[in-house]
Amino acid sequence: MIAALGLLLGIVAGLFLEPTVPVWLQPYLPIAVVAALDALFGGLRSLLDGIFDDKVFVVSFVANVLVAALIVFLGDQLGVGAQLSTGVVVVLGIRIFSNAAAIRRHLFRA
Amino acid sequence: MSTQGAAGRPTSGRGRLLAALRPRASRGQLVAAVLCALLGFAGAVQVRATQDSDLSGLRQTDLVRILDDVTERTARLQAEARDLEEARRQVTNDTNGSRAAIEEARSRARTLGILAGTLPATGPGIEFTISDPDGEVTADVLLDALQELRDAGAEAVELGTPDGPRVRVVASTALVDAGDRAVEVDGRRLTAPYRYRVIGDPDTLSAALDIPGGVLDVLSQNGSQGLVTQQDEVTITSLRAAPEPEYARPAPEDGDE
Repeated sequence: MIAALGLLLGIVAGLFLEPTVPVWLQPYLPIAVVAALDALFGGLRSLLDGIFDDKVFVVSFVANVLVAALIVFLGDQLGVGAQLSTGVVVVLGIRIFSNAAAIRRHLFRA
Repeated sequence: MSTQGAAGRPTSGRGRLLAALRPRASRGQLVAAVLCALLGFAGAVQVRATQDSDLSGLRQTDLVRILDDVTERTARLQAEARDLEEARRQVTNDTNGSRAAIEEARSRARTLGILAGTLPATGPGIEFTISDPDGEVTADVLLDALQELRDAGAEAVELGTPDGPRVRVVASTALVDAGDRAVEVDGRRLTAPYRYRVIGDPDTLSAALDIPGGVLDVLSQNGSQGLVTQQDEVTITSLRAAPEPEYARPAPEDGDE
């Protein structure tokens, strides 16, 4: 409940404060968001599985974001930033889909 | 439909979700809330940035590629502009050239038309009236007068009677005695008094007729009378058809195929 409220609060704050994304953060923010989304779905699945652990959630959240940003950074340095970003998004997307499928099975038993 | 386990915790997914939705300030809930807020914030910011900006959200390689494209396009358009500029200059030159040529040709056609008698002419000149009470004026006399006028620089000549037919006099004009005090000019029958209307320098033309032993002298010796009046403007409207040459063709000029 509090987590859902926090998500809502963050969205509202982002929409109304209209902060400018710093230039150094611009390439990493979208990938980081997707990675965090993956962590969020993973956390939700583990909650439904009954194995949710806040420490694991925090670590996976931060690690996901950092690794995604690192991959993008590395790709930019190697000159394949765009392709690597696409790859990361594809992988995270697959994970999100599988997590969403597990959640769906839990909630609807189908 | 949640089922409670032995330890009082829900065992089904739905039960666990409902349990989690129940507000309680555990450490896990708070941390998750903070992270979720962070995610929501970042997502909203990113969505807004993507909507706002066209270029600022792009990475360096993309920007470089776009810059290359734009530069190449600029070069292409500049080259095209140069070509078009060149074409325009060429067309303008051609137009001016052909316009000048047309003007030149028109001017020449006007000059030739005056000389050939196919165009009306106007300008300063004289009227030279020959009265012939005794019938002494023949084609010879009129021809002498005409030659004198031509020598004096007559540019357009008309021979006629004060109130009768008028004939444009050109290089091929023929003067023939028609008998019975009449002269035939290019097939037109004229009777005295005759009147030359001439465009040229009035003073020169008058002086040419008036020289001792000249046309006026001869006329007065024959008992007829010549009257010269200088005029600021003589308008010659009688025309002569220019026959199309049947055999002669313009010869090619040198270096002209």
